[in-house]
Amino acid sequence: MWVTFKRNRTALVGVVLAVVVILLAILAPWISPHDPLKQNVYHRLKGPEPGHPLGVDDFGRDVLSRVLWGARTSLVVGSASVLVGLMVGTLLGIVAGFKGGRLEYVIMRAVDVLLSFPTLIMGLMVMAILGSGMTKLILAIGIVMSPRFARVAHGPTLSIREKEFVMAARATGADDLWILRHHILPNILGELLVMASLWMATAIRIEANLSFIGLGVSPPTPTWGNMIRDGVKWLTNAPYLSTFPGLAILITVMAFNMVGDGLRDVADPKLQV
Amino acid sequence: MLRAGEKAMIAYILRRMLVSVPILLVVLTLVFLLVRIAPGDPAVAALGDYASQEAVERMRQRMGLNKPLWMQYVDFLGQLARGDLGRSLINDVPVSQQIRRVLPYTLELTGSGIFVGLLFGIPLGIVTALRRNTLLDYAGRIFGLAGLSVPAFYLGILLMLLFAVELDLFPVVGGGELSDLRDNLHHLFLPALSLGLIMTAYITRMARSAMLEVLNADYMRTARAKGLQERVVLIRHGLRTALIPVVSVVGVYSIVLIGSSVMTEVVFSRPGVGKLMVGAMKQRDYTTLQSIMVIYASFVVIINLITDIAYGLIDPRIRYE
Amino acid sequence: MKKLTVVLTILATLALVQCGPGPASPTAEPTEAPVVEEEEPPTEEPTEEPEPTEVPEQVLRIAFDASDLSTLDPHFAAATQDRAIVDMVFNGLIRYKPGDISQFEPDLAQAIPEPTMEDGQQVWVFALREGVMCHPWNGNEGYELTSEDVVYSLEKAANPDRSAYAGEYTGMTFEAPDDYTVRVVLDEPLSPALLLPKVTDYAGGFVVCKQAVEDLGDEAIKTHPVGTGPFRFDSYTPMENVTLAGNEQYFRGAPNLGRVEAHYIPDISSRELGVREGEIDLAEGLREQPWIEKMEGAEGVTVDVFGPGETVVLHMNQTVEPLDDVNVRQAIAHALAREDFLAFFGEDTADPLYSPVPVEFLAGGLTMEEVEEAGVLYPTDREGAQALLDEAGAESFSLTSNTSERASYRRTYEAIQDQLKQVGITLNLEVVDHSTMHSLIREDANPLIVYIAWRPNADVFLTRFYHSDSIVVTGENPDTNFSHYDQIDGLIEQARQETDPDAQAELWKDAQMQILEDAAAYPLFILKFVFGRAEYVDFGYDLQSTLALYPQITENTQVTR
Repeated sequence: MWVTFKRNRTALVGVVLAVVVILLAILAPWISPHDPLKQNVYHRLKGPEPGHPLGVDDFGRDVLSRVLWGARTSLVVGSASVLVGLMVGTLLGIVAGFKGGRLEYVIMRAVDVLLSFPTLIMGLMVMAILGSGMTKLILAIGIVMSPRFARVAHGPTLSIREKEFVMAARATGADDLWILRHHILPNILGELLVMASLWMATAIRIEANLSFIGLGVSPPTPTWGNMIRDGVKWLTNAPYLSTFPGLAILITVMAFNMVGDGLRDVADPKLQV
Repeated sequence: MLRAGEKAMIAYILRRMLVSVPILLVVLTLVFLLVRIAPGDPAVAALGDYASQEAVERMRQRMGLNKPLWMQYVDFLGQLARGDLGRSLINDVPVSQQIRRVLPYTLELTGSGIFVGLLFGIPLGIVTALRRNTLLDYAGRIFGLAGLSVPAFYLGILLMLLFAVELDLFPVVGGGELSDLRDNLHHLFLPALSLGLIMTAYITRMARSAMLEVLNADYMRTARAKGLQERVVLIRHGLRTALIPVVSVVGVYSIVLIGSSVMTEVVFSRPGVGKLMVGAMKQRDYTTLQSIMVIYASFVVIINLITDIAYGLIDPRIRYE
Repeated sequence: MKKLTVVLTILATLALVQCGPGPASPTAEPTEAPVVEEEEPPTEEPTEEPEPTEVPEQVLRIAFDASDLSTLDPHFAAATQDRAIVDMVFNGLIRYKPGDISQFEPDLAQAIPEPTMEDGQQVWVFALREGVMCHPWNGNEGYELTSEDVVYSLEKAANPDRSAYAGEYTGMTFEAPDDYTVRVVLDEPLSPALLLPKVTDYAGGFVVCKQAVEDLGDEAIKTHPVGTGPFRFDSYTPMENVTLAGNEQYFRGAPNLGRVEAHYIPDISSRELGVREGEIDLAEGLREQPWIEKMEGAEGVTVDVFGPGETVVLHMNQTVEPLDDVNVRQAIAHALAREDFLAFFGEDTADPLYSPVPVEFLAGGLTMEEVEEAGVLYPTDREGAQALLDEAGAESFSLTSNTSERASYRRTYEAIQDQLKQVGITLNLEVVDHSTMHSLIREDANPLIVYIAWRPNADVFLTRFYHSDSIVVTGENPDTNFSHYDQIDGLIEQARQETDPDAQAELWKDAQMQILEDAAAYPLFILKFVFGRAEYVDFGYDLQSTLALYPQITENTQVTR
């Protein structure tokens, strides 16, 4: 399996890029040349120059530092929301698959419906209700992604439910929870991981979109999305303010997509997500 | 007398339509609940934490929150059945009027996005599949990945920078007059291009993988073994089968496109349902927001319905499900 | 090729839906006023010979930093985009000379009266012009404005249920002895400097047409104003624009402009690009140095920076802990650095402000020396601020405020956020739409309130921001007293009644010293207005200063493309 993955050059490039981004994000507090929040109103809107490789924004803050710290926010929001989605979705999917009957019908119908909704619009709607802020953002994106995980968890649960070793386990007195933990979960973990990496990319993109509209993380915390938004007003004389964070988003999302693609090719080339 | 196949088709269409109704109902209920069951009081959410008690009470009255939940639900459904989408909390204009005014802009934007995507994506996907592992293929795949990864608003900004600012070719604000075709298209070009490029990326990927599958399929090898010309083989057998999954995902991708179109409308200050929704969000205009969600929900259900029907038309096996 | 058919069907369906019944053109909206007008475009100058060929209509397109209007009822309009439209649609009894707020001119009145005393009451008698026509609306052709309308309008402005400016008209009655005479009777005499602004083309002084208001109702006139000005309301497309048509019956002559479009474009780059690309003629700009320089360097466009500007003041809500402790408030004042704000916004647009009433333009303001001498300058002193906070037991705390997304508000708040952080105060910001912010703060939603405003004189400044009657939500005439301050009511009222201008100014100064000592508010700076303009737009007058918050568009304005 891993051999196939290694042979896939795009996936490898993706892994390398993703690892670089993650490392940069983790190390941001130490490698950032400046405090990303430190304003200097006497030195604003300058392009790349010594001391500020990516320039300074309109509050005099160092762009490079903000891009690095922005990576932290984007990755934290991305991974946390995927985690939330994974947990909520898997729970729903497993419960539905395991219990069956009315409960399953209701849950899976709702999942079907939610699945067909544009994620961005759902995200916007949820954020509009909840208000802005990092925790709410993570919650919103996580909720929006959970139907997909539910779907992925549901199918295998159904098939495993009927397998012989499960019946055997029951016969020896194992309860539902035990079966869930020891038989069902291990079998679906693989597919869930594939999904998770693919949806990281989407989560990061959704965060950028929400921040751009102004519904994401509140100022002054840097995120790539709100850096682009603030930079747009200087598009004609300081385009680098939007270009660099934009590139950062592009590279990061591409990297995770490449990894996800590679994983998917390995797991199940026909899997349509 | 209808043939068995045609009867099955009609029955299938009717079945799908019938199923759509409860689905729509579920979605509407979810929208209704979302606005009311969210943590905290929607009136307070609309007014802020430090708002006075009287102001909150007044807002609750306006939003109809003082009635029991089931009554609000009945009112909600009743209004929808009458086609009454309520009035904006901000400027009291009927929401249906506002939506009707901007809907054509959104439809033409998403429509052109899909059109451009199909126009370029299908040939691009097929060509990259045929020229697999060549430079063209790699370029195509990078393009596909990039289109998938780039946020729609960023692409819009880049296009704006290039075409409108540097080259001064296209307008950057508004949607133009609907009645003036030239003006309309002039304003449509850049936004449609930015959505179209993204859609092209999606469809290229899809078409490529579908084409690859087909090229390697057994029956293709059989056809080649029979000595048929490559081109004939390609067109008669390959293309058709390859297009099936592409068509089926157009529906799915259209829905993704709806999300991206919201961002594009915002970036280009273009009138549309998406921009209306964002505006309603910022102004905490819950009535408008709720009604727009209803519109999107209906749209999604309809697209799913059309996709199901289309799939049924293409693949006869589906009809008998 | 069934799939192809299917694909084409889907596309065709989408196309058909789009080409369907097209009520899309905004002129079909019911909010529009169906117009009783001639076919030809209006002639450009009243004295021009009618030309054999049609003269193309002059259209002015303005872009405002807003998502939508809030209200076009002149007695409520506060935000820039609303005040601008109201300014074009209505007149007052008198008006500020276009481009120069230091002078009054007669508007609906024929002359500016001198007050007289009658039975202990001060009386101002205004003689109205004849032949001033109210704009047509919904099936009504319009009618001549008389004193009945003026009195109705003033009474509406004085009614707290129908006006946000009612506090200015307490103790006044209005009479209409005949069709063209209006008597304004005051219980307590006021100097001309205080009375005249109340009847100018500003806020409560705008005169509405009685029959239109009664016909349409108070709710409808929010989106369908009917006045007597050079431009009349034509249509409103929510979240897009308001269009105004030239009023050929305007008493000063038909305007050069046939149409004015006010577009709502909350995105500064869209507005800027719009002006540079020729899609917009006049746009609200960014009130910052780099933007001004950028636009001045661009081809075909120029920038207008004009006064008097708006005061930017930080109000602190004393009913919210720990802002109820004066030490905490003073600490905040010390923590903020005026110099930083000035550096940020730039010398072309920003000037320092030491008292709520700006000393450059109005009587009663305090200079830096006076403030320093009295010990209420609150120079930047972060350690001192920290010490004060520690003493008050508020070493670090956090607050949440709503800020408008408009640049002038947002950037001020962000700068404050950064500066307060250095003394351990965390200010969380929720960015909301501009009109939303205005409603929220009037519902007492913010503990720290940045307010950007101009008022015609010290009395108005002090009354509306610092008199207990004006306390938000709970005051007698709730207005913009965000700090819930109530310590200078006596001084304000005394000053208002003082007839000697010097003594009056002294009283105002005392009142402000009090405000500063109690740190109810901390004045930051004055911000001038910045508008980007295509070079072919000619306002028709010399623009130095205006209260209308935008470059006034008059009957003389023209677009010479």
